[in-house]
Amino acid sequence: MSIFEYNGSALVAMVGKNCFVIASDRRLGVQLQTIATDFQRISKIHDRLFLGLSGLATDAQTLYQRLVFRHKLYQLREERDMKPETFANLVSAILYEKRFGPYFCQPVIAGLGDEDKPFICTMDSIGAKELAKDFVVAGTASESLYGACESMFKENMEPEELFETVSQALLASVDGDCLSGWGGHVYVVTPTEVKERILKGRMD
Amino acid sequence: MPKEQANWSPYDNNGGSCVAVAGADYCVIAADTRMSTGYNILTRDYSKICKLADKCVMASSGFQADVKALQKHLAARHLIYQHQHNKQMSCPAMAQLLSNTLYYKRFFPYYSFNVLGGLDNEGKGCVFTYDAVGSYEKVGYSSQGSGSTLIMPFLDNQLKSPSPLLLPAQDAVTPLAEAEAIDLVKTVFALASERDIYTGDKLEIVVINADGIRREYMDLRKD
Repeated sequence: MSIFEYNGSALVAMVGKNCFVIASDRRLGVQLQTIATDFQRISKIHDRLFLGLSGLATDAQTLYQRLVFRHKLYQLREERDMKPETFANLVSAILYEKRFGPYFCQPVIAGLGDEDKPFICTMDSIGAKELAKDFVVAGTASESLYGACESMFKENMEPEELFETVSQALLASVDGDCLSGWGGHVYVVTPTEVKERILKGRMD
Repeated sequence: MPKEQANWSPYDNNGGSCVAVAGADYCVIAADTRMSTGYNILTRDYSKICKLADKCVMASSGFQADVKALQKHLAARHLIYQHQHNKQMSCPAMAQLLSNTLYYKRFFPYYSFNVLGGLDNEGKGCVFTYDAVGSYEKVGYSSQGSGSTLIMPFLDNQLKSPSPLLLPAQDAVTPLAEAEAIDLVKTVFALASERDIYTGDKLEIVVINADGIRREYMDLRKD
């Protein structure tokens, strides 16, 4: 089994009309044994910026701690929050620092930039950014997620419809992957509020 | 001296995706027509679908040389069956024969990922899905091949097959009409062609119903 498949994960972020949704599964496993069914893969950097980390859980935790540290320093120096594009560059640089001994993670970054324009991107484990206008996926269920999102995505969806779409795509995809699942964690982010919802899917 | 490993493999993967959907009185079997090796395309016009019996059609992706050999073998066995029993093989019978044929080569398998579709003796649609060594199951719909990981979640979401563990036993057949099923299959291949590099060029759709077998084609992305 590859090191990226050791813990199992599924992450997806999708763009809507002046909003975005970022969602993950809830399983933490050690190869085929399930250890936790309430694992948080998505973290808030600030009110308008969320980071999801798939792959090896220990690297995800360390990377998250380093990034929060860097963002807090930025807030102290600049007296403002980081823009999503800037944060993506920061993550990319930190990952490439470890080019020959990488963090085994694939991050998904989602945020609202200037004028409430949604921004999403993903990158590989050494920091190659992939900016997308519609959706990005990561994790062991990524191929299934590509299929499900590609079929269900429409442009300029309102937050409620976007939530339904991402939830259906996530649950359908993790059902076909034995290393991810046990429900879903969905964050719907609009300029005015952040709604966090837990999905109940197949618990296996 | 360290052990030397063979760097010649008897297998190759020619890519492609296959899908089959069963209905109350019809069955739709579809496959793309691209044949590739590595990152190259060998041809844009190769049929992965083979008619095994009057009401029984098989679509196979994987190593097409093994697929061709498998198709020839099954056709020969079907001819013998016709001579001995004076009738065509039914789809469930062909399904069992395919399973046994695949397992016969358990230790040097046919690199062939199959879906079998047709009508059973009562005229109801049936789809059987296989792995490379013959493990099979009767289902309402299935996909195999390079695009199957992208296609299956979408089919599950749209058609939600009942679990074989449920009691009382529920029908595996989809509630869709024939035209709706064909539209669904076209959508699914358009979707797979977007993200899977081995799927594309043209889509071949075979529809089996009480009137017989008919074939349809649709263009897909050529990149």
